[in-house]
Amino acid sequence: MTLARRYIAWIDGMNRLIGRVVMYGIFVMMGILLWSSVSKTFFLPSLWTLEMAQFAMVAYYILGGPYSIQMGSNVRMDLLYGEWSVKRQAWTDALTVLFLIFYLCVMLYGGYDSLSYSFQYGERSPTAWRPYLWPIKTIMCVGLFLMLLQAISELLKDILRIRGEDIPKETI
Amino acid sequence: MSYELIAILMFSTMMLMLLTGQRVFGAIGFVAVVASLLLWGDRGGYDLGFSAAMKLMKWYPLLTLPMFIFMGYVLSESKIADDLYKMFHVWMGGLNGGLAIGTIGLMVLISAMNGLSVAGMAIGSTIALPELLKRGYDKRMVTGVIQAGSSLGILVPPSVVLVLYAMIARQPVGQLWLAGVIPGLMMASMFILYIVIRCKVNPALGPALSKEERDVPMAEKMRLLRAGLLPLGIFAAMMVPFVNGWTSLVESSAIGALTAFAAAVLKGRMTREVFENSVRNTLGISCMFMWIILAALAFGAVFDGLGAVKAIEGVFTERLGLSPWMILILMQLSFILMGTFLDDTAMLVIVAPLYVPLVGALGFDLIWYGVLYTITTQIAYMTPPFGYNLFLMRAMAPPEVTLRDIYGSILPFVLVMTLALATIMTFPQIALWLPDYVYNN
Amino acid sequence: QSTIKWRMQTYAGAALAAHVIDPAIEMFNKIAGDRMQIELFYADQLVPTGELFRAMQRGTIDAVQSDDDSMASPTEVTVFGGYFPFASRYSLDVPVLFNQYGLNEIWDAEYSKVGVKHISAGSWDPCHFATKDPIRSLADLKGKRVFTFPTAGRFLAQFGVVPVTLPWEDIEVAVQTGELDGIAWSGITEDYTVGWADVTNYFLTNNISGAWAGSFFANMDRWNELPEDLQTLFRVCCDQSHYYRQWWYWGGEAKLRVHGPKMELTSIPDEEWATVEAAARVFWDEIAAESETKAKVVEIFKQYNADMEKAGRPYRYG
Ligand code: NA
Ligand code: NA
Repeated sequence: MTLARRYIAWIDGMNRLIGRVVMYGIFVMMGILLWSSVSKTFFLPSLWTLEMAQFAMVAYYILGGPYSIQMGSNVRMDLLYGEWSVKRQAWTDALTVLFLIFYLCVMLYGGYDSLSYSFQYGERSPTAWRPYLWPIKTIMCVGLFLMLLQAISELLKDILRIRGEDIPKETI
Repeated sequence: MSYELIAILMFSTMMLMLLTGQRVFGAIGFVAVVASLLLWGDRGGYDLGFSAAMKLMKWYPLLTLPMFIFMGYVLSESKIADDLYKMFHVWMGGLNGGLAIGTIGLMVLISAMNGLSVAGMAIGSTIALPELLKRGYDKRMVTGVIQAGSSLGILVPPSVVLVLYAMIARQPVGQLWLAGVIPGLMMASMFILYIVIRCKVNPALGPALSKEERDVPMAEKMRLLRAGLLPLGIFAAMMVPFVNGWTSLVESSAIGALTAFAAAVLKGRMTREVFENSVRNTLGISCMFMWIILAALAFGAVFDGLGAVKAIEGVFTERLGLSPWMILILMQLSFILMGTFLDDTAMLVIVAPLYVPLVGALGFDLIWYGVLYTITTQIAYMTPPFGYNLFLMRAMAPPEVTLRDIYGSILPFVLVMTLALATIMTFPQIALWLPDYVYNN
Repeated sequence: QSTIKWRMQTYAGAALAAHVIDPAIEMFNKIAGDRMQIELFYADQLVPTGELFRAMQRGTIDAVQSDDDSMASPTEVTVFGGYFPFASRYSLDVPVLFNQYGLNEIWDAEYSKVGVKHISAGSWDPCHFATKDPIRSLADLKGKRVFTFPTAGRFLAQFGVVPVTLPWEDIEVAVQTGELDGIAWSGITEDYTVGWADVTNYFLTNNISGAWAGSFFANMDRWNELPEDLQTLFRVCCDQSHYYRQWWYWGGEAKLRVHGPKMELTSIPDEEWATVEAAARVFWDEIAAESETKAKVVEIFKQYNADMEKAGRPYRYG
């Protein structure tokens, strides 16, 4: 169990740090889009702005995902769940988080497959700018992996709760 | 197994998963990938989840989502709306129920500055609600006022819900936004009318401010009136370049976010804490939306792959032999029903792709339906047991407002909104006149 | 024996598909009956167009209707699918190039390498500009954000055009939200059919290609599993789809230019347009320098166009 606690501390710390860096990505997106308006008004419109903003958005939400789990931003349908005791919530979560983990594993496998295709064929986006797609797909895979690590951390927290330890619920 | 049966199985499994209280995106995503693996596992069915992520990346209007969320947080966290509230306070306080009417006005202005109902909710429950309670307003009535008023956020442009709808229905966002203006104002007027009538019948529900309290110097009154210009300024900075075609939709949303940010900085309200909260909460809420949309896109692709939409259409039109209007009304009813136990975002991304093509196939105007759709979503936002607005209200309201009060407060407003919905269904011109006028000039 | 079921995704959205693919698939399903049924999905419905090729390679989708360029097929011939600038003048040029000048063999070899069966290439509509503001000279192209084929976009960038690639179904909305100033993707028939004529005002009569090359593809294993008669039936239905386009576009282009109420026609003067055609020949040589296969295809284009020039009227005028 000390191992579990160490895992939780380590993974949560890392994901929190990544999330706290990524959250400033809102200004990156804003900057790209503003440059897009400026360049369009005063010079030639840029080829890369929309796609770059899309890449930024994907990095923002995928890499920020684990931190959002820590903050408890991901809504649950708490019609029944909200009324349950902490222990009962922990039991249910410990089971259902396995479904989440399965989903993330399939996503990650699909992402790995898509990424290796990108490397194999030097895949580029079918646009005039033609950026290589492996960088963003790498980010997506890393993000999905981090999300998986976070989900496992949530599982461990629930197991600790079931054993009667007082682990605070996710909060903003 | 027939495809219809698989579709029903998928849907019911998802509902069951949701009831366990697991994170909504996990529940939807799990059902999507399992279905896809079972159906097409031998033929790359494991791709479908990830290819939804690529689809989401290409859905460019989603870029407006973090922008509008950030805008909403900046407005509510920095409290630059305080002056707006005071403006309504001093100008409307003399009437019975005047502060409640002023709160609706406040909500309309806030709606024009952001694309979600969250900001209106936050501003309403932190600034307006305590004041209203202090002045002896009936707590049920004012709790309802704030919930109903904040729901205007997604009907009055800009609106995130209408952006998502536009993408699903493949309809122009500009026209949809314009279509929301008059219904939004109409609904606000109906709320006001309701307050006026109730306070006329029972003045104790909304006592007028005393003479001393209303005795504010004219200069101060005018200063506060000028505070009303701020939202108009933000709205104009965003909408003027957009409507004139100088900037695109996503660029305009970035301008809006920047303008709101700049306004907070210039008013000296952008403290370290406000900055931290706005930036962090924007990440949290954006992630919440994006991960649900991601999962729902995968779910939708499997559903599409099964031909479920065609099957449902067939059941309605051929097997049941219903007229288009009957189907439309049934759809709205089922929508509200689903809204009682389904998360709103889940509803948007799961129900809309199912309903919208059907509405189009029945020959209805999709711009008009966009407005009906949004109002229905708003009603769903507010109806217990499951409603985003209810949860937010519970989280933000002062402790003397109980869950019972919150649940009890919404009934009259839901009736008013249903009346608005019926009116717009009967007279489509309420929604369609403005976009027709602007775009066909 | 159970029914063979195929899933097919087209590059086209529902409105266009009603002409360019629905009839062929309905015909196939009617004839094949209980033996085989094809379920058709429209643009981005099952998988996004960018992932289309991979999905077919894996077998998530059995068959695809698309041009090589839009679905970014990882082959040497990708740049030639869609509208390769000025490669063709008329819609009949494309089938001649494929059937009589050897393109079929090259395409077949290239796609076999990546596990995909290239079934049949056809000629689709010409590529014109449809824009909100008029184009009357090359200078008017500058700064226009235009939805177009990737390769056409690369070529047009030298004239200041800013090519934008978005999901096909989002184009109409994107023109209205200001993401796009126009479209260089199709002839006037498609502009009217899919609603782009409602959001743009001008149609440029100069085209950057007389017809485009699009194809039907299938996952190699699925194709090989089909009995020979069903393979033949599939080919026949593909050809039927190509044939439908031949008359639908040929007649539609003329009719809408003359009688269409929604778009005003503009032209760039011939002398000025000649610079674009000259630039295309430079572009061809750049592409040819990229690989041996590409050089071979460009050589065939040159040979074909030279033959047509010599053949004179009605093949080429002036
Ligand atoms: Na709004
Ligand atoms: Na609800």
